[in-house]
Amino acid sequence: MSKPGKKPTTANPTIRLIGLGETGVKLVETLAMIAPEGVVAHSLDTDNRSLSRCHQSRTFLLGQAIPCGLGTGGDSALARAAVESDSDELAGIVDDADLVFIVAGMGGGTGTGAAPFLANLAKQAGALVVGVAATPFDCEGIQRCNQAIGGLRDLKQVADAVFHFPNQDVIQLADADLGLHRALDIANRHLCEAVLGVSRMLLEPGMLNVSFADLQSLLRDRHSLGAVVHVEATGDDRTDDAMEKLLSHPAIRGGETLKEAGSLLVNFSGAEVTMAEMNAVTSAIGDRASAARLVVGASGHGSGETLQLTVVIAHAGKLAESEQDDASLKTSPSSQASAPGYSDPFTSPRADSYLDLGSEPGSSNRGGFAYTPPAPTADALSPECRNDLIQEAAKEEPNRAKRRKIVQEMLPLEIVSKGRFENSEPTIHKGEDLDQPTYIRRGVILN
Amino acid sequence: MNGSQIIVGLEIGTSKVCVAVGEVSGGQAVNIIGLGQAKSRGVRKGEIIDVALAEEDVRNAIVEAEQVADVEIRSVFLGVTGSHIRGFNNTGVHPVVSADREITGDDIQDVIKNAKAINLPTDHSVVHVIRQHFRVDGQDGVLNPEGMLGAKIEVDVHVVSGRYNRLQNPIRLVNGLHLEVDDIASSALATSLAILGTEQKELGTLVIDLGAGVTEYAVYSAGVIKHTGVLAVGGDHVSNDLAYGLKVPLARAEQIKIEHGSALIDPGARDRKIDLSDDSLIPGRRVNLGHLQKIMSMRLQETFELIAKDIGQAGLIEYLRAGVVLSGGGARIPHITKLARDVFNLPVAIGRSSTVSGVKNALDEPEFATSVGLIKFGAFQAQAAPRRAGFGRVIRRQVAALFGR
Ligand SMILES: Nc1nc2c(ncn2[C@@H]2O[C@H](COP(=O)(O)OP(=O)(O)OP(=O)(O)O)[C@@H](O)[C@H]2O)c(=O)[nH]1
Ligand SMILES: Nc1ncnc2c1ncn2[C@@H]1O[C@H](COP(=O)(O)OP(=O)(O)OP(=O)(O)O)[C@@H](O)[C@H]1O
Ligand SMILES: [Mg+2]
Ligand SMILES: [Mg+2]
Repeated sequence: MSKPGKKPTTANPTIRLIGLGETGVKLVETLAMIAPEGVVAHSLDTDNRSLSRCHQSRTFLLGQAIPCGLGTGGDSALARAAVESDSDELAGIVDDADLVFIVAGMGGGTGTGAAPFLANLAKQAGALVVGVAATPFDCEGIQRCNQAIGGLRDLKQVADAVFHFPNQDVIQLADADLGLHRALDIANRHLCEAVLGVSRMLLEPGMLNVSFADLQSLLRDRHSLGAVVHVEATGDDRTDDAMEKLLSHPAIRGGETLKEAGSLLVNFSGAEVTMAEMNAVTSAIGDRASAARLVVGASGHGSGETLQLTVVIAHAGKLAESEQDDASLKTSPSSQASAPGYSDPFTSPRADSYLDLGSEPGSSNRGGFAYTPPAPTADALSPECRNDLIQEAAKEEPNRAKRRKIVQEMLPLEIVSKGRFENSEPTIHKGEDLDQPTYIRRGVILN
Repeated sequence: MNGSQIIVGLEIGTSKVCVAVGEVSGGQAVNIIGLGQAKSRGVRKGEIIDVALAEEDVRNAIVEAEQVADVEIRSVFLGVTGSHIRGFNNTGVHPVVSADREITGDDIQDVIKNAKAINLPTDHSVVHVIRQHFRVDGQDGVLNPEGMLGAKIEVDVHVVSGRYNRLQNPIRLVNGLHLEVDDIASSALATSLAILGTEQKELGTLVIDLGAGVTEYAVYSAGVIKHTGVLAVGGDHVSNDLAYGLKVPLARAEQIKIEHGSALIDPGARDRKIDLSDDSLIPGRRVNLGHLQKIMSMRLQETFELIAKDIGQAGLIEYLRAGVVLSGGGARIPHITKLARDVFNLPVAIGRSSTVSGVKNALDEPEFATSVGLIKFGAFQAQAAPRRAGFGRVIRRQVAALFGR
């Protein structure tokens, strides 16, 4: 399916960062501001509103004809149709890339439906493809979680590696009455660090250089579900401190992740990292991950006293599993499950089920939905989450109503671009984006 | 020029660049002798995003003003705005050390110096420090403590600060046109200078400038500035909302807004349609007037509510005995005063540049208040430092004289 990796050159690898759907776009916008030079950021969505908030990245509206800028309302098949119709333009975006990050929140329509397709395009163009995916909170409901699981699996089947961060991990880590915004911020930070860590490692000049080739040999065609963990520490005990932070990172799951890792890439950066410090950290990690291949790198960059540690973790033995995925899809009772972009849902939205993706064929029989419903229903939610989601739904409602109408009447639709506010700082007031029309934020339907 | 001096105010606004030329004679009286204007293309939300375009527009406005006023412009007072501008109050404290406890001029200097020692983020710099009131041993509302007896003297000041780099952008642009910047002033303050009389400042007034890119506001009470703020929301947002909601191109939305806009919803207009048939892009399209009014009134109401909330949190609503005064292009929106009255529950008027004389339209159009106010700002400064016409940015500003009494 994919061409072998491009021949190594002395120049820096070309890195494309592609955000899909609202979550992906949001993350890419943040990353574009802080990513090292040489990373080109793109925001792709079916929803004009999220693109209109982009100021740092190149935007592309998926599905000009349908859903014509109005989002998918959770329908991943619609997103899939949109990306397919745009495949020439999309191929142009990934054309020259060595490394493509595909960033998306799974569980909605756009990210879930579009990410696997785009990953496939990038793969075919010969790039190393790394997915970076968030998955929903448990309280978003089983259906949304199932849709996310399906999307994640589809993405994993085509991408070389997928770094996955379940939003639910934040809840398990922090206290329960954390606000939704704050929780997403924490999740987003972890997701951003994954991309940043890897791109810095590749692009910033180093003493012990981790090359693109190293990364390729670690990840290419493994279809692994892994994680990137980035921690920082200062002070006299910065190595101990960094290790402590690493081990308490949700993605490490108390060391489990390291134990299961097939290969590990550890990169140090900081103004004065000593050999002793590097030894201490690598052996501490090595002890907890005896079976893993370990690649170590170091770059002299970083600020002052801070030691920065980036650990790329790829799981073992996933090459075989991806075949198992295919098999389980074929034997699935669901009639649509073998169509790409549709998933075969699990019943339990527990975070663990993401880690077991594909390796537990039995569990896939528990579900038995013929299709993936678009959005969570309010009854499936725990009370504290319901309010947030209802508000969210209120925002989406006019959107969906409009879409239906347009499909019926087939009106030609002018698309309002982010035009006026394109190059200016977004107006965020107490977390609300005031550049968006007030009536939309208030959920008013014009009829 | 005997005894008269030319002072120029420049606002690089989001929708227009405006240059006002004033002649100051006999120390105080300001007479507007010319106005230059150009459509602004390189500015969003009050800040320059395209230097080349903005430069061209500023140059055109300056040239026009020079022709109309028949003067050569060498320097300007420049209005600054944008979401990075902050206004807040600070207090300076100073112990009176002299044996007889009589407060001297030095004590006053020291307490003001203390009030200016503000802990700003490193990339921020001060635009104004404006004296409000003194307190002597806790006694409030002292205007001039010199000669009074006391152990502790305090002063309240209003500070306006902004991001250094973002303040520099318009200054650099103006310098690039071989013009000097006499000084910068917060646009919100300049606007209040133009449209508020002594009585309004004394009784308590909220000034709101509804611009294209930003909405600026300032509160005066007891004769001094109490509060300032900038919201990076303006007429452009109204147009953008309409473009989105009515599905018309942005330029078209702007036009519909001016022709059919309203700050309030007229129930009779609910199902009325506006014909866009003259628009070749969208043959036969009609838009719903009720939708237009709904979209527009929601945005404007929200803008006022955000300001009301901020003023309320500062505890200033009950001090606004002279009500609210509106300026900027947004003041032209039909029924805008009614909407503001509903939100603030206060009397609302449209501001006129009443405190100056001269070219009629400069005084009557709400859009020009900022530039006219900048001339007033300049006139105060010139008065404070009379020998330094065209004095450059280093001037020691006597802002207390200006915004205080
Ligand atoms: N980490 C993180 N996850 C998010 C954020 N916003 C939403 N999500 C999660 O991502 C999932 C997908 O949501 P979106 O990204 O809004 O969906 P989309 O891809 O735009 O899809 P449609 O709008 O349905 O077309 C949600 O179920 C949430 O769990 C965010 O800011 N950070
Ligand atoms: N009759 C009207 N109805 C509605 N809006 C109007 C009307 N006249 C002017 N406007 C709006 O007023 C705005 C221009 O106001 P103004 O000239 O005060 O802004 P500016 O000084 O250029 O911008 P800023 O101060 O925000 O940088 C534009 O958005 C314009 O659409
Ligand atoms: Mg979306
Ligand atoms: Mg203005």
